[in-house]
Amino acid sequence: MKPRDEVIRITASMTVACAAGAAILGAVYVATDRYQRAAQLADERGAIVELLGLGPGAEVTEVRQSLDPGVAGQPATRAVIYEARPLGDHGAPRRFAFSLDGVPVPVAGAAGARAQRAPEPLGHLFVARQGGREAGFVVEGMAQGYKNPIRFLVALTPAFEIAGVRVVEHQEDPGLGAEVATRGFEDQFVGRTADDVARLDVTRDPMPEDWHAALLQLERTPPPAWRAAHAALLERERGRPIYAVTGATISSRALTGGVRATIDHFRRRWALIQPQLEGGS
Amino acid sequence: MSAALLPPTPPPARRLILNGLFAENPVFRLALSLCPAVAVTTTVLNGLILGVAVLMVQVLSSVTVALARGLIHPRVRIPVYTIIIAVWVSAIDMTLAAFVPALYAQVGLYVKLIVAFAIIISRLEMFASRYPLVPSFWDGFGMGLGFLAALVVIGALRELLGNGSIFGVRLVAGKPLLFFALPAGGFFSIAFLMAFFNWIERRVGRGRGRAAAGGAHG
Repeated sequence: MKPRDEVIRITASMTVACAAGAAILGAVYVATDRYQRAAQLADERGAIVELLGLGPGAEVTEVRQSLDPGVAGQPATRAVIYEARPLGDHGAPRRFAFSLDGVPVPVAGAAGARAQRAPEPLGHLFVARQGGREAGFVVEGMAQGYKNPIRFLVALTPAFEIAGVRVVEHQEDPGLGAEVATRGFEDQFVGRTADDVARLDVTRDPMPEDWHAALLQLERTPPPAWRAAHAALLERERGRPIYAVTGATISSRALTGGVRATIDHFRRRWALIQPQLEGGS
Repeated sequence: MSAALLPPTPPPARRLILNGLFAENPVFRLALSLCPAVAVTTTVLNGLILGVAVLMVQVLSSVTVALARGLIHPRVRIPVYTIIIAVWVSAIDMTLAAFVPALYAQVGLYVKLIVAFAIIISRLEMFASRYPLVPSFWDGFGMGLGFLAALVVIGALRELLGNGSIFGVRLVAGKPLLFFALPAGGFFSIAFLMAFFNWIERRVGRGRGRAAAGGAHG
């Protein structure tokens, strides 16, 4: 066979293989995409409803945040873009943007003409409303764990008190750092206010037995009943640091620091976002 | 093994399945794909999910290669095998993400790595590219099943010793030997099980002279 013929046959063989592969992948994507989105949505909604203890009539607004890198070399042109829409809705979102100093900037300018690089996602936040009033917030946060980032959700009451913390994605070592993703660790944050958290530290002291026993019950008890039953204990522990997982001080500190930063940032931004969300509803 | 050792007529299905499970078990006898075998097997469930994914990818890839073996140009067969494996891995990846999202969240990272599993491409090169559809299907099924069984056994050992539970159900209070849940413990688990397999093989006296075959493959 002439070398040229062989090159053509090899090229044809590879092209056919790639085209057939692409067709199969396209078909699988079309067939599964709907289910994947539905599963993700159900998961998110379930986590939010559970964390905030919402009733069936609650409306949840999803706010996607992204950082517009602005014009290179001009930090003042950086801005955070917010896109709000009801959770699960795929229609056009309501968009607004603020510079890093909290000054409103036009969205068209923030996302379109000025941007030379694509906006960088900053995580989602969810605002729950029930009976016309805010029923709580769930804020997504990230922290650098032992090796890889830890992604978590922080649920807050309208008074900025922690209703719950859930690690949703992590790659900490099983048996060690991975223990921060268990209720026994996460529930230590429940009931602390934003001001408590701003001063919150991590200790390597062992967790007191009575507090450990109380935390284990929270998983099976509705939060209001649990709080009433352990009021004295909660009062005592609120002033104390988070007890690190044995052998995993780095992961424990990482999650605690992440929760602190997430709440601090959200508290400052909420004052800006709130009027925008209420303006159109 | 080389092509000369393969019989001209394909072995029956039962032999092919037993071959994958025992005589040429990918993990315990061929010592292939040990890296993912250590990474995911901290619990039985993770091992089971990855094992099922590997089984499906192996069967689908073997069948595809057996059907298309006349069309694949021999000079580019390895890139074409890689494309075939990558297509089926991506398809399984999307399917798992859509239908078992909770489990997928635990092993999703490793499912994508199946593309690089030596066991899959070695079966395509050694078997599926030489035999017709039906024996290739059974060979892929046997090898996939062997890998699945190995991951489940390792996962069970490590979850029981490292975490005191099986399928998340607590059997022993506390963590008997946490070491086994860590990566180094994974290699030890595989080494112990491999030694156990060799010991049984010697005891039973089957496959004389094959006990050392494990070292021959990368």
